[in-house]
Amino acid sequence: MAAQTGESASTVLVCGEVRTCLLPTTQALDRRGAAQLLRLRADMYVRVSERPIMHVLSPETLTGVDCRLPASDGSRTRAVGTVIGRAALTEGRLLQTTSYFGLPAVGPDTRRPWGQYLVRPGIVEPFGMLPRKATAAGVLQGARRGELDTGTIAEGLAAQLCRHELLDRRAPFASAPTRLRWVALRTGGDRPAALTNFTLAEDGLRTVKLRLPPDVPASAAAGLCEDLALHDWLLTHVQRMLDDHPFDRADDSRSLAALRPAVTHLLHLWMPRAHVDGALAHLWDTLEAAPGFTRQWQNLVQRIRDQLTLLDLAQCRRAASSKGCEE
Amino acid sequence: MPERVFRESTAEPRTRAVPLAHLSLELGHLYMEDFQLGPKRLGEHFAEVRIWADAVRARAARRVKRPRISTCFLIDDYFTRFSTPDEVIPTVLEEAGRAGLTIDYLARESGCAVADGVALAESVAHRLVESPPPGSYGFRPPASRTGWLTNGSRSPASPPRTDRGRTDWEPPVETAARNHSIFMDVELWSDDKNGQRVWSCSFLAAVWQLARLGLLRHLGEPVLVPREQDVAALPPDWDRLPPLIKVSATKAAFSAYRTCTLVPHHFLPVENAVRLVLDQVDVDTAALAQVAKRSADEGMPVPPEVAQRATYVFYEEPGDPIEDGKH
Repeated sequence: MAAQTGESASTVLVCGEVRTCLLPTTQALDRRGAAQLLRLRADMYVRVSERPIMHVLSPETLTGVDCRLPASDGSRTRAVGTVIGRAALTEGRLLQTTSYFGLPAVGPDTRRPWGQYLVRPGIVEPFGMLPRKATAAGVLQGARRGELDTGTIAEGLAAQLCRHELLDRRAPFASAPTRLRWVALRTGGDRPAALTNFTLAEDGLRTVKLRLPPDVPASAAAGLCEDLALHDWLLTHVQRMLDDHPFDRADDSRSLAALRPAVTHLLHLWMPRAHVDGALAHLWDTLEAAPGFTRQWQNLVQRIRDQLTLLDLAQCRRAASSKGCEE
Repeated sequence: MPERVFRESTAEPRTRAVPLAHLSLELGHLYMEDFQLGPKRLGEHFAEVRIWADAVRARAARRVKRPRISTCFLIDDYFTRFSTPDEVIPTVLEEAGRAGLTIDYLARESGCAVADGVALAESVAHRLVESPPPGSYGFRPPASRTGWLTNGSRSPASPPRTDRGRTDWEPPVETAARNHSIFMDVELWSDDKNGQRVWSCSFLAAVWQLARLGLLRHLGEPVLVPREQDVAALPPDWDRLPPLIKVSATKAAFSAYRTCTLVPHHFLPVENAVRLVLDQVDVDTAALAQVAKRSADEGMPVPPEVAQRATYVFYEEPGDPIEDGKH
């Protein structure tokens, strides 16, 4: 976790956005392909982890910003610094692009030489005092025109990767990207990390609020939010596949076609906290208690298996009856 | 927290450190024009350089009792190929020796473009994070595609029309201007008629500074690493000479916490451009942290900004060789 060195102690708020989508390609990428896709910088390693699920993480890139911060109370705070962008690919199938940055409580009233911002990657300094609560709320509401927009950066990275020559741009089934915006308020040393809010909004937007102790790097929070976003995407899409298809009225071959993508591409991807920093993995417990992400997933998986059993039974019955007719 | 049992090395890449001197002192650049003027002219350069080199050493000795200073010299084999290593290098070393100077490390300028199969200049180009002019809220500026880098905002290509239908010129603006701008626009590369990329002298000199500051890595490994070279066995072909060679018995490392470059004053614009580039390179964070820690441990912390670690002496170009007894 190179780029975050020394940053956590000075920030009071960390904000970010994760964009999750199906990789637009017929075949899921293997380890080599995934590493090639996410090689955002030729001179840096792509992090590849194969256990318990293949997870490939790109090097981090920076985008310079000098603009107003979003704020729920209409305050206009100018801020300068760099936003980190990175991409992750799970099992060569689900692509996530993330952008995030940390904000200190106070910054100088003038813009400093750019080199000084560059040696503190992922820090955006406010001019004067940071209106912390208003900024956190503003980020979750979404940036207005001209305000720092993590969504633009994450989206730009996703668009860049989806144009990669390795991809045939043919997704195996229809899906919609989701966006997860998150803010993490830095706590004093004694308060533990916490997931204080997860809201499912409309149009594929989710928002998350965290409490983050000073010794946990911002990248760990980004990693947790990527994990939450990935599993939320899976729940959303498998649920939609089951909801959208009229199993009771459709013929068997169409029902099978509706279930196939879930079985082929998605069911094996459920692996909560597999690549979440040890300091934050327990935050999943909150979501498991209510609403119970894994409980809902198991329910969905069971429904798919039950539908497949029914289809199988129906096919056997038809086979048996046609055999009976022949005799 | 219990220690982790399972690890994957591809998920946790490492960055190797390089040995570091206190100061890397550059005794000059050699271009074809200089060489064509003959060894006497070269001797004049070194005689001039000697004065400033002594001053630089005296300054270093004020800060640390036994400063580790390594000297280096750059020969251009990138823009124009002239003569051969076995002819040029002995002459350079001899003339330096005559002036009482020892050259420890010799580099070929093309080594700053590609060294040992690693496209160094291209890697550094990918690391440019442009200084955002006010109003930048997340869209990546396009300069990395144009090959030009500025310290501000250019004049608009099509100026706005005034009420009377006239077009008004709008000045460029330096982002960090104090009252008035000093706007610079630096060409980083061009493509020749065969589509081959040609890096600019300023950009290669920026790569050279990063190498001397111990901040270049490729996949976590140091690049442009010096190799021992027997001066009596120099190859007759530049391509067969390693990009960076050690030609003295010095114990001081090639890379250092700081650099000092002694060059004639016609290099001033080039080195100004180098600073503009250095100010916008997102240097390998792990390498940066290694240098910061080591220098702080030695009680001589480096300035946080990379560009501030490079100092220069611009001396007057020597005129015609001074004849003995004629002053």
